Amino acid sequence: MDFSYSDEQVMLQKTIAGFMEREVKPDRVTRLYQHQDGYDAGMYRTAAQSGWLGMLLPEQYGGGGATVMDCAVAFEEFGRGPLPAPVFSAGVLTPQLVLAGGSDEQKRQLLPAMCKGEVMAALAVSDSGMGWGPEMVEMDLTDTGDGYVLNGVKSFVQDGHPANLYVVAARSPRGVDLLLVERDRPGVSVRQYGELLASVAEVRFENVRVPQSALLSGGWDTIEAALDQTLPILCAFKVGACQQIFDITVDYTRERVAFGQPIGRFQRVQDHVVELADHMDGARWITYETIWKLDTGQASKGFVHEAKAAASEGYYQVVNYAHKVWAGPGTALDHPLMAHHIASRVLYQYLGDPAYHKRRMMDALYPTAG
Amino acid sequence: MDFTLEEVAAELKPFQEEVRAWLAEAMKGSDHLRWSANWSTREEDEEYQFRRKLGATLGAKGWLFPTLSPEYGGAGLTPDHATVLEAELSAYGLALDHVYYTLARIVVPCILYHGTEEQKRELIPPMVRGENVVWQVLTEPQSGSDVANVKTTAIRQGDHYVVNGQKIMVGHHLPPDFLWALVCNDPSRPRHENLGWLFIPANTPGITIQHLPMLMGIKNAVFFDDVRVPAKYLVGGENNGWEVSHTHMELEHGGGGSVTGDPAIERLLTYCQETKRAGKPLMADPHIREVLAEALIEAHAVRLMNQRNYWHRINRKPHPYGGAQLRYYQRTVRLRNAQRVQQVLGYDAMVPDLTVNEFADFEYLMRGGPGMLHGGGTLDTDRLIVARRMGLGRATKEQAAVTI
Repeated sequence: MDFSYSDEQVMLQKTIAGFMEREVKPDRVTRLYQHQDGYDAGMYRTAAQSGWLGMLLPEQYGGGGATVMDCAVAFEEFGRGPLPAPVFSAGVLTPQLVLAGGSDEQKRQLLPAMCKGEVMAALAVSDSGMGWGPEMVEMDLTDTGDGYVLNGVKSFVQDGHPANLYVVAARSPRGVDLLLVERDRPGVSVRQYGELLASVAEVRFENVRVPQSALLSGGWDTIEAALDQTLPILCAFKVGACQQIFDITVDYTRERVAFGQPIGRFQRVQDHVVELADHMDGARWITYETIWKLDTGQASKGFVHEAKAAASEGYYQVVNYAHKVWAGPGTALDHPLMAHHIASRVLYQYLGDPAYHKRRMMDALYPTAG
Repeated sequence: MDFTLEEVAAELKPFQEEVRAWLAEAMKGSDHLRWSANWSTREEDEEYQFRRKLGATLGAKGWLFPTLSPEYGGAGLTPDHATVLEAELSAYGLALDHVYYTLARIVVPCILYHGTEEQKRELIPPMVRGENVVWQVLTEPQSGSDVANVKTTAIRQGDHYVVNGQKIMVGHHLPPDFLWALVCNDPSRPRHENLGWLFIPANTPGITIQHLPMLMGIKNAVFFDDVRVPAKYLVGGENNGWEVSHTHMELEHGGGGSVTGDPAIERLLTYCQETKRAGKPLMADPHIREVLAEALIEAHAVRLMNQRNYWHRINRKPHPYGGAQLRYYQRTVRLRNAQRVQQVLGYDAMVPDLTVNEFADFEYLMRGGPGMLHGGGTLDTDRLIVARRMGLGRATKEQAAVTI
């Protein structure tokens, strides 16, 4: 039993913490979320140059060959920002999709470029706002014999704006197919939402033609395989975010004086921080036990879904409790809490909400007949 | 990180096998009691005798306090051995702390830290051998959470302390061998500077114990009327009791942690798999699955906070706020679970006759959730401790006491 990081993990944590402190200033993060598109190209370049993209990939594809735990240590620090760059979607999730469903040629072509940050891919699944899962994929796919034609709208694509490649889920007679669609293909158009959806874009496909070689194998199973490895890393990102909110909120209870004393001396204020920490630590340890199970090859399907439910709910509630402590100042658009407010809402939906993952957790642990 | 409990390192395998074989033998004929012993304190004589017997046989091997030095009756084992032992007991729904009704798990470390060598040699070994039942007696009518507000006096007279006063809501349905009592040595001194801890033989003249029927079972009022206790049983020194309290409270407030799970939810899941309503297993009902998913996630968080605290304790670096956090969270979860049991079982959850279902004592869970919110201090004192440990509104953080 060991509830601590290894020495190497502590070093990695320090390195990334240093980068976050230098580059990812809270007000800068907030400005990005508020006025631009939730994305900083320079930060993404630094992540690529530092070897923080494709950490999970085998070294032969330019990856880091890291354990899920190593990768999670890095993402916990990224979550503190939260880092306004698609380090998860383009640096972890979509590389893992290509690794799981790609041909040798697709892997050779894409994976090293993904690690260098040249190819930034986003997963485009949801046709509509609610729901997640293969049955929610409605977009039309036509097989022309020498390729495919795509028609439809992916309404909410996380990191859809900075992406230059989409992994698109579409419905064919086979079920759900996954296609690699470059952003610059004719017929692809991207619309940004801004504000709460700063990191999400609508991507339209109008008679978009792709060759046969654009098909990834495995359909929805490929998504499942990639998610089983990568969802806990997204959870670690949220845990790091919770820790950052906890840290700044504890400081605030010391600095902010009302009625002649620091507000942290008021028991009602203390209660908010106590609840905040319960959500944070619950999410933290469920996430890390899940990751340990993955790294040691133990059955983890139910755990992965549980971790996603607990970390999404945890992050959401941590932000809510922080709002109770910060009150008015915490709602200013340039406040450090604001980027977390936005991320906690968006990541709650991303790749399935807690209700979905709780159902999947129960299905994995206690399958019902039929 | 490493969350290993079931799979142990090669060098621990022989010990694990020894424990397994020993437990299988010791549990023969008592299998029907296995799950109850962790979380029920029904006034059942069979269960009580089973726990005492198991405690005594574990104690004889030094396994009630596995890491304690053999000179005090422990087994002198490593923390890893202790973890194996706890994990194996957990498979029977048992935990060392709950093997029988005793608070020795808290009292022994207190005496180990704060007692004289003479006290350690006299008082610790019988507890470690599982021979004695010890009640902690802190609460008084005017002092529950405000634990330092002690009115029970223990005034030195020659070689004795003379104890007068009343404790309340302590113990259980059968009498104790010793009382571990927080007393006031000198009412004229300021708060916190007037306390002492006395280890009192329960058969000393002048002690009267009266049952109090309560929601969670039998508790007691203890009256002290000119009770003469040998002065050598004052642990930690006169008026120095608050120091000893730090160790006591940290352990009572969850700082000890545990590697054993709470079997209640596990039993509820089994019940839902094996019970049909209108021809369908309960487990097929989407609403019940949702209730269970919530319960599972919270039980998992409780288990990991427990394991985290255990790891911090055996490594002698107490988690800053983890003890009281666990206690607060665990008790709010139990309160929710009490309602969840009713949501799943309906009226069945309230039937007091244990023979109604063979899965678990759900009726006790329903009473225990709200009934045990206060033991060892309310939810509010838990939150107060967490806040101080986090340093909310304070320049410095209060430190957790070392408890091993």
